[in-house]
Order: sequence, then C-alpha cells, then structure tokens
Amino acid sequence: MRVFTASLAEMWFSARRRTRLSPDEATAELMLAGHRLGQQAPASQRTLELVLAAAAGPATERELAGETAAVAAFLAALPEQEPARRRGPRRIPVLAVAFMFIALVALCGTAEAGALPAPLQRLAHQAINAPAPPPAMRAPRPSADVTPGPDVSGTNPASAGSGPSQESRTGKPSTTPKPTHTSASQGDGKPTASASASTQPTTSTTDNGKGNGGTPGQGGSNGNGNGNGNG
Amino acid sequence: MLDGDFPDVLRLAACGDAAAFARLWRDTHPPLLRYLWVSAGDAAEDVAADVWLDVARRIGSFHGGEQEFRGWLFTMARRKMIDRHRYEARRPVSPTANGELFERPAPDDTVAAALEYISTETALALIATLPRDQAEIVVLRVVVGLDASAVAQIVGKSHGAVRVAAHRGLRTLRERVADATVTSPGRGGVTL
Repeated sequence: MRVFTASLAEMWFSARRRTRLSPDEATAELMLAGHRLGQQAPASQRTLELVLAAAAGPATERELAGETAAVAAFLAALPEQEPARRRGPRRIPVLAVAFMFIALVALCGTAEAGALPAPLQRLAHQAINAPAPPPAMRAPRPSADVTPGPDVSGTNPASAGSGPSQESRTGKPSTTPKPTHTSASQGDGKPTASASASTQPTTSTTDNGKGNGGTPGQGGSNGNGNGNGNG
Repeated sequence: MLDGDFPDVLRLAACGDAAAFARLWRDTHPPLLRYLWVSAGDAAEDVAADVWLDVARRIGSFHGGEQEFRGWLFTMARRKMIDRHRYEARRPVSPTANGELFERPAPDDTVAAALEYISTETALALIATLPRDQAEIVVLRVVVGLDASAVAQIVGKSHGAVRVAAHRGLRTLRERVADATVTSPGRGGVTL
C-alpha cells in the first residue's frame, strides 16, 4: 500500500538508500571468501562481517558432543566396508587354490580314465599309478579294415576296462591291439560302427552314451570303462 | 581445514583408523551441522548422522582432495535433506506440544538477538531467515568454505546463479542488520 502512496522522490531515495547499503560484488565476494574488510569499511559492512564470522566461528562443545557416538558408528560400519576392501587381495589366493584343486581333480580323473595324451599318461602312470598309455597310442594304429568282433564290453564296461588297465599296471602291454567298436552303448552285441570310429573322435551320443564322452577315440582303445568296447 | 594433513588423514580413515576418522569428523562435522541446521532445521542432527554413516561405508572408495571431500559430503547431505523434506511432505506431522521448537524465529527478533550477542547460533539463526536457497548458498560459501563452483555443483545451479543468490543473501542480511540497528537502539545493540 505504501508503494502506491509514495511519491517518486521517496521511491528514488529509498532505492538510493538500498543501493548505498548493499555491498558491491567485489566486497561481497571478499566477505563470502572469509576475508576481513578492515577498519576503513563502512559500519554496516563490518556488522555483516561480524555476523558471517560468527557463523563460521570455531566449533562449539555442543557440535562436538557426538564425536564418541560418531566414531563408534564408524567402527560398527567397518565390517561392512572391510570385505569390500579386503576382497581384492584375499580373493585371488582363494580362487587360485580353488582352480588348482579343480584342475588337479580333473587331471587325476582324466589320468585314471586313461584319456591323457600318451606322454602325460605315462607320467601319470608313474606318478599316481594311473593306467599306462594304451599300446594303440604308442604303436601305429591299425587299419580301418578290421572285422568287428563280438561285443563283450558293451554290456559290462567295468570288466572290459579292467583288462587293459591291469595289463598296463603289470607292465605287460597288450601285444594285440584290437580295434574298438562303438556299439557298446546298444548292448545287443551287434557292432553298429566301423573300426574307423575308434580312431576318429565322434560326436555321436550313442557311441559313448555310458561313459566319458570327452575322449571317445582314445577311451575306446584302452577300454577302461568309458562305455566303448573292445572288438 | 586439515590442508596438508588431509591426504594422510583420509588414507588412514579409509583403512579403518578411528583416530583419523575422529579428526576428519571434528573438522567437518561442525560446518555440516550448521549447514543442515539452516537447511533442515531440527532434523539436522539426524541427517548428519545418516551422512556420516554413509561416509564411513564409502570412504574407501573416495578419491580426491579436501575440497572434493567436502563437496562429496555436502552433496550427500543435501540429497538426504531433500529426501527428508519429501518424506515429511508425504507424511505431514500434526502439531505437537513442542511444535514451536520447529518454527523459525521472526527476523526482527533474530536480528535483535544477533546484535546483542553474536554467537554462532544466533548468526546462523539470522542467516536462516533468508530464503532457503540463499541461506543454503551463503552457509556453503561462508561456513563450509567452498568456492562458487563447488557450491554450484552441490546445489545443481550455474556458477552465475550461485553468485547472484549469495550476493542477494548478503544484501538482505545487511539490510536486516542495519534496520535492526536503527529500529532497536534501546536494546543494547552493537554500535559500529
């Protein structure tokens, strides 16, 4: 209401008063940055400076009263942050040991299955008494034109697998390597594949449906229970 | 401000050293509390506790200098304060017997009190009479000691907008102080 009743002169004087009172930008920036204006500054600016200095004053007892609780909360929160910090250095050995264990188990299993390459299999044979590498892996492979014999191991892979492995453990390698046939999974005594199936890896699930499918060709030659029979 | 000691203090605190964290807390908590008192009122201590809990959990992942640390901490504080305001807006609290504690003092009374004895609390109360955005920016610049760029990042405004708001806040503050000096001479006000 006063705005409408005030004369232009009053409004001008009011504006001048406000302009005179308001600190200029440079002074304002100095005050905001915490600089002291000095005794030559206008009284109103020094008053404002006093207020700002009080607001930024040293910490009070009341403000610092919660230090003990804050430190306790920090220590309580530590277990939540500790795993995050320790995860890096601790995880590596644990994972390495786990991987080494898995690799060792897999290696032993493969060695016991006689499915390692010949040099490694020989090494495993000497180290952990794994089956010796089959003669087929050391001697030249027989030709593919072999008459398939009766399937004796298909119905009983365990018995079929024990023969060569026992031979190899006793240091008497088989002198008559026989081609392996892959009809064991059928169990009907009828060979269903030619002898070439024993020398070439195959992806057929019927060839090794009862055992180790990873190394069908090699596993079949030593007949150690991986589901492939000796013909 | 810890200045040159800050990197070591931060590193030790990140490793779980309680003494280093306590030093960090003693240095930063008072301005944090003042900022929150001006911005969040009575919930300042609760919000500050939440902020320090977050700091304790995440201090290991922080990298930067002291200014960056303060910017990080006050950004968290501002977000928590906004969340608090939203929560309170969704669940308005009915006035209680001590509801007057949540109300801010009238500017005239605050100015008069500030001029009689300018303590930290009365000065903050005087700043708290400003519009909220101006009060927030003035406290971040004066009390926390951040520059305009850091404040702009915290409040999500441009550098120019922060500067204008700070200058307006100071101008308003100065007028109120001057008016109080003139209108309440008999109350033992400070004569400068």
